[in-house]
Parts: sequence; structure tokens; C-alpha cells
Amino acid sequence: MTDQPVLHVDAATGCVVTDLGRATGPAHGLAVNGALDQFAARAASALVGNAPTDSLLEITGFGVTLRPSHDILLAVTGAPALPAVDGYPHPAWTPLSVRAGQTVRVGISDAGLRAYLAVHGGFDAPVLMGSCAPDSMIGFGTPVTAGTPLALRRSHPPLVNPHFGATVFHFGLPVGVTRVPTVLAVIDGPDAEEFGPELDHLFTSRYTVTPRINHVGLRLAGPVPQRSVTGEVLSRGVPVGAIEAPAGDELLVLMRGRGITAGYPVLAVLTSLAQDNAAQLRPGQRIRFRRTTVAAATAAYLEQRRLLDRIALRARTAIAAQSTR
Amino acid sequence: MPAPVKIDILPCGEAALRVTVYDGDTERVWATVHRLAARIRHELPSTVSAVPTYDAVLVEFDPYHTTADLITFLIQSWDHDWDDAAPEPGQVIDVPVLFGGAAGPDLDRVAGVVGEPVSRVVEIVCAREHLIRCLGGPAASAMTDGPDFRVPVPRLPEPRLRVPAGAVSVAGRQAVIGPVAAPSGWRQIGRTPLTILRTDTGESGADDVVPYRPGDRVRFRPIDAATYTDLLGLPMEYLTND
Repeated sequence: MTDQPVLHVDAATGCVVTDLGRATGPAHGLAVNGALDQFAARAASALVGNAPTDSLLEITGFGVTLRPSHDILLAVTGAPALPAVDGYPHPAWTPLSVRAGQTVRVGISDAGLRAYLAVHGGFDAPVLMGSCAPDSMIGFGTPVTAGTPLALRRSHPPLVNPHFGATVFHFGLPVGVTRVPTVLAVIDGPDAEEFGPELDHLFTSRYTVTPRINHVGLRLAGPVPQRSVTGEVLSRGVPVGAIEAPAGDELLVLMRGRGITAGYPVLAVLTSLAQDNAAQLRPGQRIRFRRTTVAAATAAYLEQRRLLDRIALRARTAIAAQSTR
Repeated sequence: MPAPVKIDILPCGEAALRVTVYDGDTERVWATVHRLAARIRHELPSTVSAVPTYDAVLVEFDPYHTTADLITFLIQSWDHDWDDAAPEPGQVIDVPVLFGGAAGPDLDRVAGVVGEPVSRVVEIVCAREHLIRCLGGPAASAMTDGPDFRVPVPRLPEPRLRVPAGAVSVAGRQAVIGPVAAPSGWRQIGRTPLTILRTDTGESGADDVVPYRPGDRVRFRPIDAATYTDLLGLPMEYLTND
């Protein structure tokens, strides 16, 4: 067949085509954006043999129903994902072959908020500064809507495990990845000293996730540490994961779509892994913060990236072995 | 030869550093910050990004590819390196602005705060070029030195949930031009009809979504409502005959 494979969209709400983010954006005044749960997104791409920077779907809060025009290889990840093909449930966090015309439904359980769906080869979507990641502030991005097919780069014949006669592979993902922690690890921020002993409230209090959560930030209700110094703060670059204490009774946690500068002091910063966890929080959930160090956070992050490397290698090997048979 | 500036580097999580420059001379601080950012972009791998502002650079990196210690070591090794030559003069951006009314709902209040008639406030705003100090959030806003008011302008007690694209606002001793509609706690004194942001750079690989960079200067020019309508939607660009 010479026609381009597409993914027909039968139903979609809160779903976008994205990638790991616009890495060169911040230097040009734009937020990095991209998949909020970076681990889940990287895992989905790795499981289908894609490059980490390939495009994939981010499914937030509601499910999607899709129908490929050709045979494809996909993987669904994210803590809450519940994939089903023609009504039959399939496991998440593993490659899954879908035949042309079959219906793929990805439900979202109430264990989390965001699921990721990667297709071998990735999606064709417009890019800005090398990334297709949506930026809500500038109105860029490719939302997934019912009735508008998504162009795919490649089809893929069914991937069959020679030992099981079905798409069943175990690439070494620990079972724990499907659980969403509600204790978020943070590192003291560059302005932590301005809060003196007030900073302790951050570690002794519980916070409730408010309904005001999106790609830009999460607002958390609970005790807000007060600065012991006064005066306006000069606008500075703020990192993704920064916890700010604006006036009022809510903490603001900046996510990947945040404005790159702000005039509020930074109390603490979520570790990269905690940012992924925060991406899965739902309104009403109760969370708390745990203090960690740069060294511990770096070690945890590197361990996770090496795990992803191993998954990517095993998946690529399985896919290559199939294509040479 | 002035003493070297003081550089302080603090972690911002495990994947970012804040590099703050201290010196009595704020111009020198700003020039150093922007030279540092340029050097980081040129000499460190592309996975390292730099966001320069007034007195600090946010350096973001992937700990899988490099380490905070290595970046810190490199930056510390640079600080005595560069000469104090003035940064290259930027270009001038012409920004026609409709002041007051719905286009500048806070103009009267700003006039009250600075103790000048409204017409004089507009004169002060348009009297000199405003240096773009940095690109800020949201969406590559042009953050400039503010007008020569006698006193700083306090922010709004409650931020507005939506300020339109093209808003020209002041706060403290700064001014900002916003390329997109966004929430803001600054005082909106006017609005430019020009289209600032372009996202159709697509596959051409162009990396600039706005027509200005830090170091450029903005010249505000008062226009009336009829001219505003005439200019609406034209692209913002550099002055060519200046």
C-alpha cells in the first residue's frame, strides 16, 4: 500500500500530539512544554522502538478511541492507562500490535491523570523550533479531535513473541511504575533562606490539589510559608518544578508550560521524578513534600534513565529481530 | 581595570542552576549576565539552555548528559576572562501605541501615582528609547527599562486574569510589551495594534518567534484610534531608516 497510514479518531477529549518538549524554547522566551510525565512518555517511545524525541499522544483526564488504517505497533503508558482493543483489555507499559480497522480505546483510571500513546514511527505534526509540543500561551499545537485523522509516519506488521504467539514482551519495567506517589521530593530552592523557619511548614503540612491544574502550574491549598524579608523580587528565570508562594493561601507549582521568568521567590524545586508524579495528580488528592538533596535526586534520575535505555535497547532488538525473519 | 564581578551559583532542583551576578554597577551586571548566557549557548552542549534576565541566568540541563559540578566549574573559570567592552548595540523597534481608554485602563491611575497629567505621562513614556533587558514569561514578552517616572509604579493588588495581546504595561521601574493575551499584575497603560508573535516559522528552523532580542531598544509612539485601526495586525519590525 502506498497511501499514508492514519489513525482515525472516533472520540477524544483532552488529547494532544506532543513530544518531550521545545528544548530551545527557553532561550527564546518560550516555555519548554511537552509531556508532563516525562518518564511515561520516554517509556512509551522506547517500547515501540522510537527515538526519545519522536511525537506521541498525551491523553489527559478522559479517554480516547482510535482506529488505525494500517497495522501498527503502539504502546500505552502513564500510571492510569487502561488500553483495550476491540473491547478486550490489554496491558499497558508493553508493546501492543493493532491490526488495521481494530478499535483502540485508552481509558484513564482514577489512579492518575495522564496517559501516553506512542506509535512506532511517530506522528506527522507541525513543529515549532523542532518540537510539536503544544504551547497554550502562543496558541501552537495539534489537538486530537474526533473526526480528524492523525497522519502516521509508518505502519508496522504484527509483532509476535515467538514463545507466546502473541504480543507479550517484558522489557524490565518494574511493577511499581503504575502507582502514583503522593509524597513529592523537593530540593531547597535558591530563595529558601528568605523564608527562614517558615520553610518547615512545607515539610510538616499536607496540601490539597485544587481544580486549578494544567500545563502551566498546579495550585495546592494549604499553609503557605511567608517570607521573612520584604521587597519586590526582580524577575528571574524560574525552573520547571519551582514552588512559589504568591500572596494568598495556595502554593503554586510551576509545570513545563510556565512563563520562563517570574517575580516570586522560589521556595523549593520538585525533582525531575517528582515533576512526573505531579503530572498524575488529580484535584482533591492530598499530598505532602519530602526534602531531598541534589545528589540523591540526580542518582534517582540517572537510575531511571538507565532503565529507559535498557527498555529501549530490548524493544529495538525485538522489533529488529521480527523484521529480519 | 574594575574588580571582577562576583558570581554566585545555586541549585534550582537537580536539573537547573541559578547563576547570579553581583556588582555595584547594574549595567555591568546586566551585560555580564547576557554575555554569560551567550557563552553558555555557544560553548556548552545544546542540551544546556540559558535564560538571562537582569542579574541572573537560569541554566537548565539534563543530568543524564552533564553535571551541575561541571557547569559550575566552567562558569567559575570564565568569570575573569572577558573584557569589559560594551555589548553590541541592538536595533530599534518602532512600537505605535494607543494610550488610555480601553487600550490602557490603568493610565489614569499611573498618572495619579507619578503625579503628572496623563498627557505628560504619555510624553515621558515616548521620550526615550527603552532598552530590552530580557525576554520574559509569558511568550517572549519584551521586558524593558521603565519610563523616567519619579517613583516606581506599584503592581495591581489583584492581577487581571486576561490582558490582551499587544498590551504595554508598567510596574516598578520596568515596562513590558506582551505578545499574547495572558494574566498580568502590571499596570496596562496602552496597547499596540501590531502583531508581535509569529509561530509559522515551521520547518524553516527559524528560532525567533518575536522580532526583538535583549539589547534591542523600543521606541513608543503615540497614535490615535483611527491609526490603531489602520495598523491593526501589521507585523512588528525593526525601524529601517534610523
